This record gives sequence, structure tokens and C-alpha cells, in this order.
Amino acid sequence: MKTKKMLTLALAAAMALTVTVSVAAEEIELTPASPEGQTEVTAKIVGAAGDVSYIITIPDVVDFGVLSQPDNDTEDHFADKAYKVTAKQITGMNPDEQQVGVYVKNQGATVGGDPKFYITNKADSSKSFYYDIYDCPAAQIADNTANINANAMPYAIGYKLVGFSETGEEVNGTLRLNQNQLYGLNIAEYVGDYSGYMVFYSMIEDI
Amino acid sequence: MNNPTTKSKKKTIIIIALAVLLAALLVTAAVILLQPKEEPPKEPAKGVVGVITDNWDPQVSQPTSGSASQSGTQIPGYSAATMQEGDLSLKLRIGNPKDNHVGFYATLKLSDGTVLYTSPLLEPGQGLEEVPLTQTLAKGTYDAVVEYRCVLLEDGKTPLNSAESGFKLYVS
Repeated sequence: MKTKKMLTLALAAAMALTVTVSVAAEEIELTPASPEGQTEVTAKIVGAAGDVSYIITIPDVVDFGVLSQPDNDTEDHFADKAYKVTAKQITGMNPDEQQVGVYVKNQGATVGGDPKFYITNKADSSKSFYYDIYDCPAAQIADNTANINANAMPYAIGYKLVGFSETGEEVNGTLRLNQNQLYGLNIAEYVGDYSGYMVFYSMIEDI
Repeated sequence: MNNPTTKSKKKTIIIIALAVLLAALLVTAAVILLQPKEEPPKEPAKGVVGVITDNWDPQVSQPTSGSASQSGTQIPGYSAATMQEGDLSLKLRIGNPKDNHVGFYATLKLSDGTVLYTSPLLEPGQGLEEVPLTQTLAKGTYDAVVEYRCVLLEDGKTPLNSAESGFKLYVS
């Protein structure tokens, strides 16, 4: 009889202990609280943060087509290629205060470095030709028209090309390569495919 | 010689020992089974991760005028993005607009060169709404950029002109 009592007490104690642990564990499971909803955003942001605020269109490639060796270098022999950069869509921006600034640079260009843009032989990177960028059509380029890369590159993000205020604005520009660079070369050594890459940087900036 | 009283005491001790052992087993089992499952530690993203959808939409209204068959490559741009210190993801719509004819490799990085995310090849119409980050950031304001490296879709590697979209990243 005494034995039965002791056994009952021991089992009851064991069960009680088990229940206590179960409850504690359950409480722990319920503990994690989501911190969401406590964020205080103090920044002034145009449109919803993380959303696309604008879309610009850039040219896919730099393609001068087939270049020709001129028979003299006493006059210019320009190969002009038109390009277009467009503000396809701009939303939620006050054009009186801000604009979408678009900058351009030759791939790998650095501040204060060589201002020219290049196309390079795909098989031999030591062979390259430079070209300049204008922000107007070829027909509007006069003798005194400056290319945008006339001076050393002022910013790491490139030369300022345009500031867009509204949807639909565009730059109809010109890439100009003077084929006089080919004059006097043993052209057999220079045949091949050439390519060059422009990097367009855009951002919303204050006017 | 064992008398009945001694036998009974031994029996009692054995029963108590067994009961205690049983209780200990039950407690151990309860602790193991009912312990809250530890969440795996947040692993920073390593390169190609994130949810990429096939019907990514930049969600900016279409222009009311302009040619439909515009040449060139469309590049999304941003005003700003926000996150909290400790977050390992960022709400930012990175993607390749469906009207494009080129592929994108998108890289999210800070102005000091710290890379926070690199995408796999994004074909037109593919993109992300939330970007996993390689690391979290301390409170502050950062100059960030999404670098869109454009390639031919045919081979996924021949480079084209590329673009970078700069914006402010606020961490609170």
C-alpha cells in the first residue's frame, strides 16, 4: 500500500514537471515578435522607395560600319553615327526642382584621364581608333561646335550629356570618328572587327 | 537471510528509481520535442539568388506619345530605396523591361564598390521586386547604383553598351 502511494506520488511529480516544461516551451515558441511596422522613414523620397522612377533609352552598340582609309589627311574624313538617348518615362518628379541627369563615359575611363572614346580591335587590343561625342545631329555640327568630351572627364560617372525634365525628351547626338587616323597605315595590319562600349549613368539630381 | 520487510524495501526503492528514470525520460523528451525550432541564421546572399519573375513590370505608366517601335535599350532608374539596419534584403525593382531585345546582368553596389547583389542573366520581362543582399548595412545614407551590363541575348555574353542607375539608399 505504501509502495503504491510512493509510486503514485513519483509519477505525479514526473507528469507535473513535464507539463511545466511543455508550457515554457510553448511560450518560447510564441515569443518572436515581428519588428515590421516600426520603421521610421525620415528621408524625402520621390515616389515610392525602391520603385522605378524613370526609364531612359540608350543605344545598344557603337557601330561605325565599314571604315575606309582616306587618300589624304589634309581634309577631314568623318564617319558619323547617329545615336539617341530618350526619357521614355519619368514619374513623380518636380521638374522645377529636379531632373534626370544622364552622363556618359568610355568604358574604363577615369577622372582627368584620356578624354577620348575608343573602338578597339577585338583580336588585338593594341589597335584602336578614337571618336568623339556630340549632343546634336551631324548636320548641326559646325567648326566651332564642341564635342562633350573636349576636356578631361570631370566626374567619375562621366561627361554630362543631358538633364531630362519630362517624359519624351531626347538627345539626337552624333558619334564622330575621323578616318584620317587610318591614313598612312599598313591597312592589312589593321583589318578586323572593332568594338567600343559607352557607359551611361543616370540619376535624379537637383537643378 | 532476507526477510519480507527487506524485500519490500528493495522493491520500493526499485520502483521509485524506475519512476524517477521515467520522469527524467519524459522531461528530456518534452524538452527536445517542444523546444522552439531554431531558425537557421540569416545567410548573406552569395551572388545568384533571389526570386526572379518572368513577368516583371517596372510599373511606371507608359508614355502617352512616342513611337512604339523605339530602338535602343530601356534602362530603369530610381529615386531612392530604404531598409533597416540588420535587413538582408532590399525592396528594389531590378529588372529588364519586356520591350528590350538584350539581356541584362544587374549588379547592386555602393559607390565605394561594395557589391550587394549580382543577378543571373535577366531576359526581357524578368526581374526582382526584392533583392537579397550579401551583407546588411549600418544606419546612414549611401550612394548606391544598379549597374545594368547589357549583352546579346543570342549568346548571353557578347557585351553591348551598359548603364548605371544611381540613387540614395537610406538605412534607418
